[in-house]
Amino acid sequence: MQIEWSSDWKEGFVERLENRRAWDNWTLYKMCYDVEKAKLITDFDGLQCPKYLPELKPFPHQLEAAETVIERMNGKAILADEVGLGKTIQAGLILKEYLIRGLVKKALILVPASLVNQWIEELNQKFHIPVIQYKKAYDLNYCNIVIASIDMAKRSPHKENLYDQDFDLIIIDEAHKLKNPKTKNYEFVQNLKKKFCLLLTATPIQNDVFELFNLISLLKPGHLGNFETFQSVFSASKHNVEEDEFLKELINQVMVRNSRHDTGIEWTSRRVQIIPLEFSDEEKEVYDMISELKNVSTVFSGAFSMITLQKEICSSKEAAYLTLNEMRKKCTQPDEVEYTEELLRKLAALKVNTKAEKAYEIITQANGEKVIIFTEYRASQTYLMNYLYEKGIVSVPFNGQFSKSKREWMKQLFKEKAQVLIATESGSEGINLQFCHHVINYDLPWNPMKLEQRIGRVHRLGQEHDVNIYNLAIKHTIEDHILELLNVKIGVFEKVVGELDDILTAYKMSI
Amino acid sequence: MYPQQIHQYVRRFFIENNCPILHENEHFVNVQLTIEMDKKIMNRPFYWKYVESTGAEPTPAQLTLITDKNRLTESIAGEVVHYGSPRLSQLFRVTNELGSFVQMYEKPPAAQVPAQIILTPWVGVNYKITYSSHRTQETLYSLGINLMTGMIINGFQESISGLDLESAISANTFHLPYTIKPLRALERLDAVIENQIKQDDHTWAEEAQVRQQRDIRVLDYFYEGIEDKPETYESEKKAIEEQYKTKIRVEIINGGLFYLRSI
Repeated sequence: MQIEWSSDWKEGFVERLENRRAWDNWTLYKMCYDVEKAKLITDFDGLQCPKYLPELKPFPHQLEAAETVIERMNGKAILADEVGLGKTIQAGLILKEYLIRGLVKKALILVPASLVNQWIEELNQKFHIPVIQYKKAYDLNYCNIVIASIDMAKRSPHKENLYDQDFDLIIIDEAHKLKNPKTKNYEFVQNLKKKFCLLLTATPIQNDVFELFNLISLLKPGHLGNFETFQSVFSASKHNVEEDEFLKELINQVMVRNSRHDTGIEWTSRRVQIIPLEFSDEEKEVYDMISELKNVSTVFSGAFSMITLQKEICSSKEAAYLTLNEMRKKCTQPDEVEYTEELLRKLAALKVNTKAEKAYEIITQANGEKVIIFTEYRASQTYLMNYLYEKGIVSVPFNGQFSKSKREWMKQLFKEKAQVLIATESGSEGINLQFCHHVINYDLPWNPMKLEQRIGRVHRLGQEHDVNIYNLAIKHTIEDHILELLNVKIGVFEKVVGELDDILTAYKMSI
Repeated sequence: MYPQQIHQYVRRFFIENNCPILHENEHFVNVQLTIEMDKKIMNRPFYWKYVESTGAEPTPAQLTLITDKNRLTESIAGEVVHYGSPRLSQLFRVTNELGSFVQMYEKPPAAQVPAQIILTPWVGVNYKITYSSHRTQETLYSLGINLMTGMIINGFQESISGLDLESAISANTFHLPYTIKPLRALERLDAVIENQIKQDDHTWAEEAQVRQQRDIRVLDYFYEGIEDKPETYESEKKAIEEQYKTKIRVEIINGGLFYLRSI
């Protein structure tokens, strides 16, 4: 094997021997040797970074994950801890270790735009790693650790700028967004050279096992075979995971996942309950009329619009009204128009919202403690704010579209002034609300991992109370079906990835 | 390094570099930097350019470093330094820069009968060998070679660190002229290092090779049966090769000429 000799010292030595430059100070000479001795990396194994980070107090499961990724997985891994266990800390430890060992000089970090600042702050303050936010005008040859939002990075000319660089480590946060190989995001990451690579996601499977196949094929193509062989084994039914032990083992070679129970940390418990509700007669009548629509007019015959309307009316009449009103404009036949108009009148006349009443009841029972309500619809969000306001309860809204400062402000208002925060789905990433321990899932999403993301906002490191989760679902409606599907998907996840903390109820249905 | 060690280090660093300590206790130091040190560590080239071009009176900065913030009871504004903090890493770098080459003479014992003392010339060099693939390991070798006899000893730095050395030769003390030239001596020491590397256990490199071959097989399997392999195949393959690339690097930390009596 070739030995690389560095000749700098010899040149300096010659200069001194020939009296062209002065000799150095003996004390500094000895200090320098002592420092080198202290810094020496005597072992291939083990972590150096903890001694460089005395202020950081990582948890054992975080150190263990960093060690596993570097020693067993050779620096290519999916970090898939449950939400709130500190995946950023794990990634920071790994990056730091590689920097100290000189194995990584340049690194690229890709994250959703809303998390860019949070990453810069954490790496700077906790890890003393200076990170530069990608700007088109910067010369990347002089930037070692670069962070960019993936949506920006995938576009020209940024894409080409980044491809031109020789990054040793690529870190991708919220990597479940790469589940679909037909997207620009996926293609962009696929074409990046990945010497070392970390994919961070709490939810490596959201719907089916192919998503995990796609993620692993980005990281280590061929690890799960090629698409054809994988499909032939697993496609019989998307939800029927056979040979799961074998698959699980393969996955464990490239994925680190800790659930809350594995961490050895005393977690507060999670009390999850489904609260089944019955529509009032008036609501029931409207719901049935909506379900009937597909037989009345071809405008409503598409399964998608039908399901949307059914979900919306389970949320609030405001949510349904907007969609229905739009669709009424497409109706041409007099009987269609008449039926829809009648429906709209009935909808407008509804006085009672069963779900909102239940939510109010839960809030009053919380005795002044903070409550978060998650809804899928902006219209329901506004409605609930008004409804609660009339009952004398102050609430603040929260959406993903809010700017960073507005998010912070809303969080502050919630912490200090308001009892209730009402968030839409997109508000469930990158906000941490450990000071609250009641979560109402006012509407249920199709995807169980979204539920986990929501709960993860409050049930994370720093939570001191037991967390109460209330999943509201109206009986004999589409929400029955959603519940059933959620359970099936949770089953697939657990077979392939591992145990999932309770998100629906403590007593899971068997599949 | 513990906070006390860091404190000692920081103090000695500034004292040796002629930066007077203005205030201190066991947990912080406040120093007046010299112009040279200011230029080296304060990162303000525009200020110095301005001073030089306008001829203004230079005012090098004062620096307060807190070495143990947990024990500091006074309210002192300053930079907290700990092992791994950017400031301390910077001081380490500067130490290396200013402590790479020495020429030292052993001092005669105080109660010596006034007779001539003869010193023997040595070259001492501190080497660092780095083995790296997807992991790394480093070893230090402190070698010394007697320029009269060619004898080589390991652990040289440890054997001389306790001696009383000074940068100028004492009165009534003489040293022998060397028979082996220092550069020739350096070559011999390099050869010792090379030989050491040959004798070392290189299972680490074999292991890296095995892992590399295994990963390339997995990759080939993914693209099996595809006639025109896409660009991603080549870039993935290149990434795997880089990931496990085995390297041996030899650096010299520091070294010098030593005129000794005791060994």
